[in-house]
Amino acid sequence: MKRNVNTKLRSADAQTKRFGLGMLSPTVVILLIMTAYPLFFTLVYSFTDYNLLRSLKKGSHFIALQNYTKLLSDPYFQQSILNTVKFTILAVIFEMFIGLVMALFVNSLKRGQKTMRTLLLLPYLLPTVTVALSWRMMLSPNYGIVNQVLQALHLPVYNWFSDIHTAFGMLVLIDVWQSAPFVFLLLYAALQSVPQSQYEAARIDGANRFKILFYVTLPNIKNSLALCALLRTIDSFRLFDKVNLLTGGGPANSTSTITQYLYNYGIKSLDFGFGSAGAIVMTVLVLLLSSVYIKRAIS
Amino acid sequence: MKKALSLILALVMALSLAACGGGKTETPSDSNTPADNTSAEPTKLSLILRGGTYADVIKECLPAFEAEHNVVCEVQELSEGDLYSGIALDAINDKGSYDLCMVDGSWMAEFTENGVLANLTELGYSLDEDVIPATTAICYVGDDLYLAPYYGNVTVLLYNKANVEAAGYTGDTILSLEDMLAICEKAKADGKLGFIYRGDSQNNLVVDFLPILLSYGGWVIDSNNQPTVNTPEFKDAMNFYLKLIATGSAQVKDDLIASCDTGAGTMGVGWPGWYTPTADTAADYCAITGAVAKGGETHNANVYGVWTIGIPSNSQNKELATELLSYLMDKDVQKSTVPSGGVPCRYSSLQDAEILKTYPQYEVVCKALEGGMYRPVIAEWTQFYTILGAEMDNIVNGVKTVDQGLADAQSQLEALMK
Repeated sequence: MKRNVNTKLRSADAQTKRFGLGMLSPTVVILLIMTAYPLFFTLVYSFTDYNLLRSLKKGSHFIALQNYTKLLSDPYFQQSILNTVKFTILAVIFEMFIGLVMALFVNSLKRGQKTMRTLLLLPYLLPTVTVALSWRMMLSPNYGIVNQVLQALHLPVYNWFSDIHTAFGMLVLIDVWQSAPFVFLLLYAALQSVPQSQYEAARIDGANRFKILFYVTLPNIKNSLALCALLRTIDSFRLFDKVNLLTGGGPANSTSTITQYLYNYGIKSLDFGFGSAGAIVMTVLVLLLSSVYIKRAIS
Repeated sequence: MKKALSLILALVMALSLAACGGGKTETPSDSNTPADNTSAEPTKLSLILRGGTYADVIKECLPAFEAEHNVVCEVQELSEGDLYSGIALDAINDKGSYDLCMVDGSWMAEFTENGVLANLTELGYSLDEDVIPATTAICYVGDDLYLAPYYGNVTVLLYNKANVEAAGYTGDTILSLEDMLAICEKAKADGKLGFIYRGDSQNNLVVDFLPILLSYGGWVIDSNNQPTVNTPEFKDAMNFYLKLIATGSAQVKDDLIASCDTGAGTMGVGWPGWYTPTADTAADYCAITGAVAKGGETHNANVYGVWTIGIPSNSQNKELATELLSYLMDKDVQKSTVPSGGVPCRYSSLQDAEILKTYPQYEVVCKALEGGMYRPVIAEWTQFYTILGAEMDNIVNGVKTVDQGLADAQSQLEALMK
């Protein structure tokens, strides 16, 4: 009798395991095809001189670490890493701060929250190409509204994307304008779930607005803040389309990010071996940058 | 219940994979023979072209060919960079997706060296004598023809008429680089921008500079395809260019055209496909003479950006594509594209009295095409201009001196061309 029960339990256990595996398998298969396979081949190509066109007739050859040494000793790549890190830090800080302010503001509204939420979200809903081209038109030295307003106010005008002193700042500004609403959306959702009783208790204890913010609001939404920072860090690190459309990495490499560098020196010339080495280096850097957040999320 | 769910999941996965894999469908385009005119199903020809006027003029000619050959032409219009990678990415397939492609002259060496293009001579096509000979210089490998020059793009000097006249010149009297500088300096003194250049990509930086370099008698490679960017001629040209661009600013193409049109800017290196001047327009263009000083030695300073057409070697409809190419290169068909902005590389179009009456600027284009220079026909040209453009970008932005920038460019290019 007892043996029968044990057998049944074991069979139920095995069935549960099989069901679990069955549920996991689609995700595992998709991950293997879409992530593991390309990652493996990118790693393999990074040790070769694979060029898409040249390999048609001459094939590709194993060149060990040559791509990596060439890449890491290239001053343009080093500058691209610096630009990317600088951009990521600035963009994430500004986006987090502005997104949080927007979320707190909308959350505090007694009326019109829905309208405000929709309006503030609009920049994030636009495709990046549309955003980039709209800003290019607005900042055009010929017919751009920004320079026209500055001229009307007798202020100095700039050739925003071609001036080495303004191009990088403009890219940060445009990215913040487009992505701060994403931070706002996530933080606004988190703010909605903060228990009102905690605010009431804090008020009864005589806490002022700043104390409520630092001792009630922020501790309650810290996980969402960490998630936002992680997502924005990864996204900012991959910045490409805005740079490619607006500056192409110039002037004088001042806006070249890692992805733009890889496009210019690897993808455009179809040197996929060299480009793969760059992609691997970039993946490692993103993992390093995100590891703090990932550790925190896991714990 | 769980078993049923697992089974459904497995089925969905299997179906998805089968759907993603797709099946081979026989289409008329799998055949390597021309379409049968009597067949009800039209053959599909796929064209990959440079977007803008270049593709527009081709699209306008297609309906007649489609009707005559029972063909449907699908046109993909792309930017220059996307066109290059589109053709290259398709070249690795045994069966290509494209039947006719537009090719920039500077890609020729790389494409032919790696077997991307079909041999047009073997397909029975040859160029006639009406085509301006200089424009065919890069179309051959030995005696074999691989490309046909379709759109006669060649660098010209785009200028604002009023600004040039304010400096005491006309288009006909801009005879040297010094004249260009004098006009631009006058414009700057009048509170306008002088010379506008495209600083938004390495390719544009290099291309806008090449006519100046040629005027100084320099070039980027020697006869052995070794880089020559750290030479006295190159340095003189670069120093002059720095003076010239100091009168204006870097702008993107659309802004450059708008600047010359509104008079906010005075001049810049452009292409005939960008702007159609008439007696009433504020801007016009002229050929760059290739002389540094008035009365000095003149060099051939017009750089080709000729858009050629060819057939990918993996096209599934080579014979039909050859017929289409012959049709598009036909004298009369090409002449018919002129009112829509077409610039054929043909004497019969560019020297036609009727055409010149309406479009007098084609005389300038014809002269420029007769004595133009192609960018170096080397397989490494993409990497070459990326390196050179990056160093020039440093020089024009004051990050490096001329000597330092050109020395760095030379050493990197030597490593590339080893």
